[in-house]
Amino acid sequence: MIPAVAHIGDAAPRRRAGARSVARRTADAIAGAVGEVLENDRLASLPGLMQRLDPRMKAVSIVLLAVVTSFVHSIPMLLVLVVATMLLAAASHVSVGSFARKVWASAGFFGVLLSAPAATAWITPGPVVVALGPLSITAPGLLVAGRLILRVAAGAGFGLLVVWTTRWSDLLRALGAMGVPDLVVATLAMTQKQIMSLLRTVENMHLARESRMLSAGSARENRGWVVERMAFVARRSMKTADDVYDAMLARGFTGAMPSLVDLRASDRDWLWLAATVVACTFVLLIDRMVFPL
Amino acid sequence: MYGSDMCALDRIDLTIEPGEHVAVVGANGSGKSTLLKMLDGLVFCSSGAIAAFGHTLTEDSLEEPALRREFRSRVGFVFQDADVQLFCNTVLDELAFGPLQLGMEPDEVRARVAEVAAALRIEKLLDRAPYTLSGGEKKRVAIASVLTMRPQVLLLDEPTNALDPRSQVWLLDVLREWKAAGRTVIIATHDLTAAAESCERMVVLSEEHRVVADGAPEDVLSQRALLLSVNLIHEHEHRHGGIGHTHDHAHGHTHG
Amino acid sequence: MHIPDGYLGPQTYAVLDAAIIPLWAVAGAKVKKTLKAKQVPLLALGAAFSFVIMMFNVPVVGGSTGHAVGATLIAILLGPWAAAIAVSIALVIQALVFGDGGITAIGANCLNMAIIMPFVGFYIYRLVSGDSPSTIRRSVAAGIGSYVGIVVAAIAAGIEFGIQPLIAHTASGHALYAPYPLSVAVPTMALEHLAFFGPIEAVITMGIIAVLAKQDSRLLQMKPAAKPLRWLWAGFGVLVLLTPIGVLAPGTAWGEWGAEQLRTTLGYVPAGLEKLGGAWTSAMPGYAPAFIRDPLVGYLVAAVVGSALVVGIAWLLGRVLARKEEPPATPPSGTT
Repeated sequence: MIPAVAHIGDAAPRRRAGARSVARRTADAIAGAVGEVLENDRLASLPGLMQRLDPRMKAVSIVLLAVVTSFVHSIPMLLVLVVATMLLAAASHVSVGSFARKVWASAGFFGVLLSAPAATAWITPGPVVVALGPLSITAPGLLVAGRLILRVAAGAGFGLLVVWTTRWSDLLRALGAMGVPDLVVATLAMTQKQIMSLLRTVENMHLARESRMLSAGSARENRGWVVERMAFVARRSMKTADDVYDAMLARGFTGAMPSLVDLRASDRDWLWLAATVVACTFVLLIDRMVFPL
Repeated sequence: MYGSDMCALDRIDLTIEPGEHVAVVGANGSGKSTLLKMLDGLVFCSSGAIAAFGHTLTEDSLEEPALRREFRSRVGFVFQDADVQLFCNTVLDELAFGPLQLGMEPDEVRARVAEVAAALRIEKLLDRAPYTLSGGEKKRVAIASVLTMRPQVLLLDEPTNALDPRSQVWLLDVLREWKAAGRTVIIATHDLTAAAESCERMVVLSEEHRVVADGAPEDVLSQRALLLSVNLIHEHEHRHGGIGHTHDHAHGHTHG
Repeated sequence: MHIPDGYLGPQTYAVLDAAIIPLWAVAGAKVKKTLKAKQVPLLALGAAFSFVIMMFNVPVVGGSTGHAVGATLIAILLGPWAAAIAVSIALVIQALVFGDGGITAIGANCLNMAIIMPFVGFYIYRLVSGDSPSTIRRSVAAGIGSYVGIVVAAIAAGIEFGIQPLIAHTASGHALYAPYPLSVAVPTMALEHLAFFGPIEAVITMGIIAVLAKQDSRLLQMKPAAKPLRWLWAGFGVLVLLTPIGVLAPGTAWGEWGAEQLRTTLGYVPAGLEKLGGAWTSAMPGYAPAFIRDPLVGYLVAAVVGSALVVGIAWLLGRVLARKEEPPATPPSGTT
């Protein structure tokens, strides 16, 4: 049902020229992912609305928006939320086109795919809108499916707003300042960094293989190669963990990870939070009173 | 070495005086990195002893907080792979890590960080994540992260590897400054030219992990047969037109 | 299996988000005790590895590919508690850095992929591999463990989806979140993973363990288990004996309603359930063999027979594999 594949890789730019080999597909997916992270650095330094907010405020308000999205049930208000994500994107100097594309690729596409059967009489019986026998599309079916698609799109949109306008390092500082234990923050930081490093290695592996393959190779062969490469990455990871530990020891690591905290919220940040709370309340009220279920 | 039962070093007997700049040279696999890690109390020998500042270094002795603090603040290690060494969230955190671990007050830490960042000209990089930096920048940050602890002894593992020519020249300048400041420096390298330029003492490790030479660079480098036998240089033959020409070729010479 | 935001209603995600926090805390405490100061780099690398595993395209047949999760593999390498943290961290980063997976759904995703999968997978691995140092036995055990692990995790996800229409619906009974009932969600997730993602996971896990065992068996800590699984069996036995308690609870187990009960409670029966309910007649309908009248005794007999079947199959597998054992692994010779 939910495919395990609504992954970053599937949003990677696709080349038109024929079927790509498995190695190429993975390499492209990785390149796409790495590119996104580096692009994030650039986007996060633009002088847009979201970028200028204190990362703690951003984190809190986005969680608030995600939660509110789960309480809104009427199609019109869900649509309002989706439009709100686009407006916030635009106000943050993010191209609405690429924002919409990413939301579609990561959540919208599969949302439509998954909710399609729910629109039919098989799952949601009721007055028929488009007659297709047992798979006729029903009116309540459209509501159920539409609700899901819009909700998923709004949720993905709000999440993406935070991801694209905040540097990971700033988000971590925000988490640390909001009570997440130091060790957790340190591990998150190190993981992200190791991910970038591993991704580059793995990408090169795939490209190297691609450049040496004269033909596509059987699925079994390729699988064998994937397994062997993953084992290599496993060994390499263990070794790197040892090396990083040595490096930490060499700088006097005592087992704790204190850090310098210096986040200060400005008036603008509080204003933003207040505005978000007011807007959410508004949306919820209209949802419940104007469009009751 | 990871997963190895082989003897990593064999009968090493070295004494290093304060203020000395020593180059430990040898072919890859001769045990240079392991020796440096032993000197930094990261790897421990199964027989023999290492002493620094009047204390013996063992796994247990370094667990003791007072000795650990003293030792770690006086000896800094710059790893071969800067990526391994940069494990914090931002460059600022990286520079602050050491002093914070030593228990210094946040204000004092901030001051130290500002001082070292200015000295190495990396102020603009302070709020960047290390994995977004270029190779040369990473090396600077790696060195800066060690310098904030104000070490008297610096261990550098293959410092010129993977550095572009300009950064290599910069590094040699830094070494010269440290010499003038009286810091002790031990460099593990297979770059004979850099070693000769920055150090007044050269120790040669053979591929059997033994010390085979220990003296002034000019003397050591003149022992051609010895250098050939430890695989630090090899004879390289090429032709000019119809005439064959043989000369000695060392690996790792990088700047011009 | 990553669940995005919007599919689970607040009644579900709030509970799961709250439940995952103490689990993380316990995992953190356990890991701190075993890994001590080295936990930060080891967990970070484990998490990075977990993340990267999820990105590999695994060739299945022809040109199609699938993905593996690798949670059981990490549990075998680092232990189940460390795996819980490592996979959780990978999932959090997927959500917060790459926008992959929901924010409110973090609890559900971590529960499925970072708790259920590694723990189920790890203990099945231990059960099937026993104390044997044989590489083949360990690899197959890893394959079986990861297969069962991912299927159970998928079923959990299916349950999380399937209960949505029941707990959050409009007055006319239409779903507000994930629209598929248990009768559709659970079989779909189960089948998908039994037939497709499960085998991928098993092949990958088995393969990697085999390669690692050959190259450096120390990575798999192949020494005899310090404590025999005596306590596990004892606890298991107690659980079997306690099963008849279920008979005391009134009503039908949650989610196990038949068509008639749904009709009375909800007012409608999803067409799929109407058609497929009753299609399969089991050997012991109602958890009691037909010839035993007393429900309590029937329950007990069903429990004993069912458990014996599962344990027996696992044990048989272990023996079959033991026969294919290579000579015990030679002590690691070192090469860097």
